[in-house]
Amino acid sequence: MNPGGHRLRRTVVCAALIAGAVVMLGPFLWTLATAFKPAADVFASPPKWIPHPFTLQGYRDVLALPFPRYLLNSAIVSISIVTLNVVFATAAAYAFAKLRFPGRRLLFFVLLLTLMVPFQVNLIPLYRIMIDLHNISPLIGANTYFGLIAPSAAQVFGIFLMRQFIASIPDAILESARLDGASELRILRSIVFPIAGPAIATLAIFTFVTAWNDFLWPLIVTNTDSMRTLPVGLAMLSRKNTMNWSATMAGAVITVIPMLAVFAVLQRRFVEGLTAGAVKGTG
Amino acid sequence: MTAPSRGPRLRRALTAYTLIAPAMLATTVFLLVPMALSAYWSLTRYNGITPPTWVGLHNYVALFHDPRFLQALRNTVVFVLLGMTIGPGLGLCAALLLNERVKGRAFYRTAIFLPVTTSLVVVAIVWKMLLNDQGIVNAVLSFFGLHGHAWLADTKTALFAVVIVSVWQGLGFEAVVFLAALQSVPQALYDSARVDGAGSWRRFLHVTLPALRPTMLFVFVIGIIGSFQVFDQVFVMTQGGPVGSTDTVVYYLIDRFQALQLGRASAVAYILLLILATLSAIQFRLFEERTP
Repeated sequence: MNPGGHRLRRTVVCAALIAGAVVMLGPFLWTLATAFKPAADVFASPPKWIPHPFTLQGYRDVLALPFPRYLLNSAIVSISIVTLNVVFATAAAYAFAKLRFPGRRLLFFVLLLTLMVPFQVNLIPLYRIMIDLHNISPLIGANTYFGLIAPSAAQVFGIFLMRQFIASIPDAILESARLDGASELRILRSIVFPIAGPAIATLAIFTFVTAWNDFLWPLIVTNTDSMRTLPVGLAMLSRKNTMNWSATMAGAVITVIPMLAVFAVLQRRFVEGLTAGAVKGTG
Repeated sequence: MTAPSRGPRLRRALTAYTLIAPAMLATTVFLLVPMALSAYWSLTRYNGITPPTWVGLHNYVALFHDPRFLQALRNTVVFVLLGMTIGPGLGLCAALLLNERVKGRAFYRTAIFLPVTTSLVVVAIVWKMLLNDQGIVNAVLSFFGLHGHAWLADTKTALFAVVIVSVWQGLGFEAVVFLAALQSVPQALYDSARVDGAGSWRRFLHVTLPALRPTMLFVFVIGIIGSFQVFDQVFVMTQGGPVGSTDTVVYYLIDRFQALQLGRASAVAYILLLILATLSAIQFRLFEERTP
């Protein structure tokens, strides 16, 4: 081994990592800086990394728009979707993994096939169904929380993820609970749910990130400001007044902060959650 | 012990049906029924108001004579090819770097993963600002004595800019998946290669790459399926322009939908489904053959 070559290699690796970090983090820092700049300074030359003068005008502008409402909508929709998926996916996964019933293999195969279908294939009829539902009752269908939540309430991917985990729970544990007279619902609640904790966390994070960042369906199914979620509201803002960059960046900060906060707290789980499919792909 | 009677078994089957009912109901109403409807609509002329009229395969034929659809399809193929070359390539490089024993690995891993957690809409808006002709990208370029460019306003560079932004957003996913695969390659394989006198480049070619094959399949399948559906970035950054140079299949589909050509839009959706199903099948076949 020659130590000179070793040191050179180390220097190259470190330089590449630092350059990479600048490219990955720079845009975030620039966004944060812009959100506190007066509009005139956004494209100032040379670029100003520290906002001076410092202003909250951008935030005042977006808070005057219904941005707090978008935030509330995003929170309601994402939390509902996560809760429903955890319950429905775990329940269905338990049945598919551990209970015998006629049609089990066929129904599971049908679910497997739907994983291949891109969302755009369902999009248009789904919108049509939501319009029809809205005509039945104004509480459901298009431009309601129901319309935003229901199509994502029981995602097939979650059932697969949970089934894989629940299948690894030893039958003996379940069997002894049954001999003690526990009902299947009770087994699900007091044995499967606690044991499946890590898998549920993975599912919850994956679902939360996709729901929070989802764009196409909320864009299509909402048509008033009062029902828009953050990404839709932000996209509308960026197309409406392309000139007010500080307000748009303030909106971007508001959209990203809750996700980054969750990421900061649950970092390891987060990476696992978002790459959950990889385990399946390489296994 | 007595043999299990019919009673408990029936009860257990009923419980099972109850447990899968919400998921099956949601899948049927929000997935299977819409799939069947759009298959039917793709064979009709339909504006969503008056009843659909049967036109057979006319929508499909018309699409392949529509220059706008053909351009959108071509743009999407270019987007996928570029993105799926640059993305996994850079992702693998990043994973190899992150696999080195250096200080602050956790920090670098977090930095590269940050955009993965961020909404594509936010990423697209931020990069629209960075790529503005007075933006920071051009400022950095001119600092190094290079000429700036109106990246998103030029038909020659707009699509490439959308590719770069998408790669930037997804890079952390590819890097982390590759990193996990790198770390699961048994050290013994490297050791025996070293005993056989293989240098670091040959160890990479003959040990690392073959071991990464299943991961690569996964990254390509997920990546191609995802990037064929590119929409958010285009909607925010370019709206398909300039002069259709960033029009994509899904952007075109939504455009036909909003023009109330539901039959035409449904046909686009089924063409997309067909393309994705074919590609996944080919990829699995290819990787199966090469894996001993």
